[in-house]
Formats: sequence, C-alpha cells, structure tokens
Amino acid sequence: MSEIFNLLLFQNTLRTATPVVLCAMGCLLSDQVGIMNIGVDGMMLMGAFFAVLGSYLFGSWAMGLLFAAGIGVLLGLFYYVFSIKFKSDEFIIGVALNILAGGLTVFLLRTLFGVKGSFSGPGIVPLPTIRIPWLEGVPVLGAVLSGNTLLVYVSWLLVLGIWVLLYKTPLGFHLRASGEAPEALRASGRSPERMKRLASVLCGLLAALSGAHLSLGYLTMFSENMSASRGFVAVACVIFGASNPPRVFLAALLFGFIDALGLRLQRYIPSDLTSMAPYVITVAMMVVVVLLRRKKQRSTL
Amino acid sequence: MNTGFLQSVRALIALKPKQKLTAQYLLSLGVAVLLAFLVGAGIMLLSGYDPITCYGAMFQGALGRPRALGNTLAKTVTLCLTGLAMSLAAKAGIFNVGGEGQLYLGGLAAAMVGAGMEGAPGWLIILCAILAAMAAGGAYAFLPGWLKVKLKVNEVVTTILLNTAAIYFCSYVANGPLKTAERGIASGTAMVSKAAWFTPLIRLSNLTTGVFYAAAVALIVWYLMTRSTVGFEMKITGTNERFARYGGIRAERLMLWGMVLSGMICGIVGFIEVFGLHHRFLTTISSEFYFDGMLVAMIMRYQPVGVILMSFFFAILNIGGSAMELSAGISSELMLIVQSIIIFFMAAEGGISEMVRAHAAARRVRRAAKHAERGQAL
Repeated sequence: MSEIFNLLLFQNTLRTATPVVLCAMGCLLSDQVGIMNIGVDGMMLMGAFFAVLGSYLFGSWAMGLLFAAGIGVLLGLFYYVFSIKFKSDEFIIGVALNILAGGLTVFLLRTLFGVKGSFSGPGIVPLPTIRIPWLEGVPVLGAVLSGNTLLVYVSWLLVLGIWVLLYKTPLGFHLRASGEAPEALRASGRSPERMKRLASVLCGLLAALSGAHLSLGYLTMFSENMSASRGFVAVACVIFGASNPPRVFLAALLFGFIDALGLRLQRYIPSDLTSMAPYVITVAMMVVVVLLRRKKQRSTL
Repeated sequence: MNTGFLQSVRALIALKPKQKLTAQYLLSLGVAVLLAFLVGAGIMLLSGYDPITCYGAMFQGALGRPRALGNTLAKTVTLCLTGLAMSLAAKAGIFNVGGEGQLYLGGLAAAMVGAGMEGAPGWLIILCAILAAMAAGGAYAFLPGWLKVKLKVNEVVTTILLNTAAIYFCSYVANGPLKTAERGIASGTAMVSKAAWFTPLIRLSNLTTGVFYAAAVALIVWYLMTRSTVGFEMKITGTNERFARYGGIRAERLMLWGMVLSGMICGIVGFIEVFGLHHRFLTTISSEFYFDGMLVAMIMRYQPVGVILMSFFFAILNIGGSAMELSAGISSELMLIVQSIIIFFMAAEGGISEMVRAHAAARRVRRAAKHAERGQAL
C-alpha cells in the first residue's frame, strides 16, 4: 500500500493534472463568453509540437514556450474568426481543428525531423524546475509543492487570476455579459465580439501552453497524438465545475489523481485498463454532479 | 395526430432552404476543394516535392487499378455508413460523437462471435455476428443517450470520453484475455471462422460482399427516415423539439432511439471491417473513420447523394494518400490537412458568402450615392 500511496503519488498528480488545469482554464474563459471549444485538444497537440520545435531549434525552453504561445494565439484567433465572424458551426470547426492538428503535427514530425511516432533527443531543452524555499518548509507537502516546473505554478496563479478577473473586474463582467446577454452588452456601447475574440485567443494560448507542459515539462519529447483526449477531459471539467475556476481546478486535480494512481497500479493491473479509468470516472463524475444539483434544487423547492 | 398538423409540419420542413444542397453551395464546395488542393500543393513545394507527381500518384493510387478502385470504394462505403449513423442521430436532435467507440465495440463483439462459432454454417455466424455487433454498438450508444434524455448530461462530451474508454478497453481485450495465440499478430483476437469471410468482389481488394450488408442497412434507414412514422417524428423532433412536443410526440424517446440506432449502425461498420478486411479484431481497426464520416455528413447537410459523392472524394484522399506516401515519398498526413481545409471552408461557407454579399451591396450603395452626388453637382 505504501508503495502506491506516498508523496510521489501527489507529485505525479500535480504533473498529470497541470495540462488539464491549464487547458480547462482556457475552456472556462471560452465557455463564459458562450463559445463551446471542442478544438482545444488539437490546440494542445499543436502547442506540444511547437514547444518542442522552438526548444530544439534555439536550445532554449523559453523559445519553446514562446513558439507554443504564438501558435496558441493564432489558433485562438482562427477559432474566433471561423466560429463568430463566419458564423460556422463551432462543433464542426472544433472537430476539424483536431483533425488538422493530428495531421499537421505528424506531417511536420516526418518532414522536419524525419522520424515516425515520436521525437526526443538531447537537443530539446525541458522546462526548468523551480524550488521555492519557503514552500519547502511546509510540513509533509513541502516536497510536493516545491520543485515543480514553471507552468505548474503558472496554472495555480491562473486559477486565482481568472477568478479575480471574471468576478472582481469590469473586464470580467463584460466577458461574462458577452456570453450571457450579448445584446445588453452591445446596448451599453461595448462590442461582445471583442470580448469573444479576447476569450478565444486566451483559450488558444492556454491550451497551447498546456501542450507545452506536456512535451517540455511532463515529458521531454513529442509523440503523435500525445494530447490523448486531455482537451476533452478539460471540457468535461469545465462542465462539471460549472465554469467556476476553483471548482474546475478541483475537478482537474481529481482527474490527475486518478491518472497518476493508474500509472502506479500498472504493476498490478493491465495498463490499458488503468488508462481507461480516468475517462470512465470523468463521465461518472459528470453524472454525479448533475444528480447532486438536482437533489439540491429539490431540497430548496 | 391529425393530418392538418402533419401538413403544416411538412410545409415547415420544406421551408428550410439551408438544409438543401443548392447550386451555390456546390459551387462553393468546388472552390473549397480547389483551394485546399492549392494549399496542399504549396506545402508540397515548401517541403521539396513536386505537386504534380504527388497528386498524380494520389489519383493513380486511388483509381488507377481495379484493385485500388476497389479499396477506394470499400472506404467510401465505410464513410457513408458512419455518415449515415451521424445523420440519423442528428435528425432526431442528438449528437453522436461516440461512433468511434461504438465501431470498436461492434467489431470486437462480431470478432468474438465469429471466432467462437467455428464449425457453424457461414450464414448463421454472420447473422449472430451482426446481432452481436448491433447489440454492442447500440448498448454503448444507449448510455450517453439515456444520460442526455434523463439527466441532461451533455452528450457531445460524454460520447467523446466514452470513445477513448472503449478504445482502451478493446486494446485491453485484444492484448489480454482474447489475444490470439498466433505469432506475428501484435494485438488482435483469434481469426473469424473462414466459412463466414466475405468474398472480395474485385480480386485482392478490400471491396467485398460486405457492401451488400451496407446497402441493406442504408435501405432500411432510408425507409425508416422517409417512409415511416418514426422517421417523420424524428425529423420533427430534430427540427423543433418544442413543436414536436406540442404535437404529442415523445421527443425524448425518439432522441434515445436515434442514438441507439446510430450506435447500431456503427457496430455494423465494425462488423464489416472485421469480416471483410481483417478477419479478426485488431486494435488498428479504425483510424478515426467515424469522425471523417461524421464531418462528411455534416458538411453535405445530411443529404444522401451529397454524402455518397463526398465520401467517395474523401476515400480518394485517404486511399490515394497512402499510395502517394509509398511512391512519391511525402507523408500521407498531408491529406488530413487538405481534408480539414475543405471542412473549414464548407463550415464557414454561409458566413463567408453572406459577408461577400454584404460587401457587394455596400459597394453598390456607395456607387449609387456617388452617382447621385455627381448628378446634383451638374
């Protein structure tokens, strides 16, 4: 038992949860302005590839992050232009974006690096780990909280930052209004489209950064289809976190915990079954949340 | 339900021009395809390949020989059936994005039956395998459908997540309890009884008698959708749920049925892949076939003829892409990029043409205003 439930488990939880947290924060923003973004999985995959590309070409993790951020902003803008400007079906655009990402990353992998499957090598510079001395002093959890990669801390700050942005600032108010009552926002002299553009670009940025964490923080490699539906899990987290940053964060942590637990149980249970568990449990959690909400409604009536 | 109500609903459905494939829409499709091919050619040039050689190899590889044509047609059938599955659910007002998982489970169930009934006559094995595939696909679609109808859980997200779960599950089964004892098979189940194999219609190609099963499925669905009460009620439910409820239709039950039928069709696709092509369940049985078929159905607005033609075109890209990789050396994933560009533009077609029209109208107004000004100045 102690082999499975130890500090390393919590360390792994953080590592596996962080991509989902980052991506879910992006989806959350998109959800608040009324855009359902199914394409985040593809954005994550593209971010993962371009992070490796930047890191490899310039021998610097910062350039990797910059590359990922750049492609994320572009994809976010692309999503906005197609779904809002051209009034296309968000669902079609999202699925097509996932197909594009799957095709383009593999194509580039073969054309630029000449490899099939995955690309790893000493040329890729991973994200540095950051030690925070005062966090290390925390009893028991100190070793877990300190010594993570940059994006782990960024994701924590984001949860707080997005909560403050959405509920404590005028900009956040306008963002939420553009999703809930776009006509009211327009009547007050502001453009809901601009809010949607902002949210969509931020969503792309965060989804791509989550990919960067996957390929430069979690692992130091890019492999075909490495996002492995994590983008969809992020969308599910947003749904059962009811677009509330702290709740979405907890949902993503729970996913990470199950994922990390599964990895450690692989010695006892076939790996396919442990890989399957997070997805099944995510669906189950969606059901539980709906049931709980119903119960609450009934009791308040 | 009285006939007056039915007539008014028929009129309502007839009034939905957006659902039809107009000449203008087909023209846009042509432009989108051309544009996508040009982008593809640009990428080929950038990566140091000759576009004419590459595209030549692609068409040659998809249509050049009877065998190649057979493979392309077989792929067309797969795309059509998955597109049909999507259409059926969409017309009932529910999105089935989980076809990939249903296809996997249907294929696995069919393979288990096919291998387990060794010695039985071929027709009996096929019958049982179809039923098993339908049961597996249908049951796996029932779950998200039921959750949507009873608990209002978003079916798009649950079906996508269930896809991944099903694929892992099938991989577990094919690598674990049901792994074949044969050598050289990486991850697959035991072989289906030879008596039940489909026979190829074109020698050495993937086009087998499985097409007839696909045609039968398509015919039944066509009958269900256009000639039966259920199909009609489904159509109304998908078009306007509240209106349907007002007319006394139990929309929820129909949505659930639409989902289950859709899952059954996906299961049959898995069955056809197993009995026609691989003769066993392999974990590589489908590489996102369902998503391709689904998108084809969506951009062709669920119109049967359009879906068939577009499926054929996408099949050329898919089969030809692999041939292109073999002979010209360029990665076949390029065709995925070309496909997605076509889809992006067809999804945006309405919005773009609207913008172009608005732009043209604005220019006309400006010109007229200028004319009027000049007239006053004189």
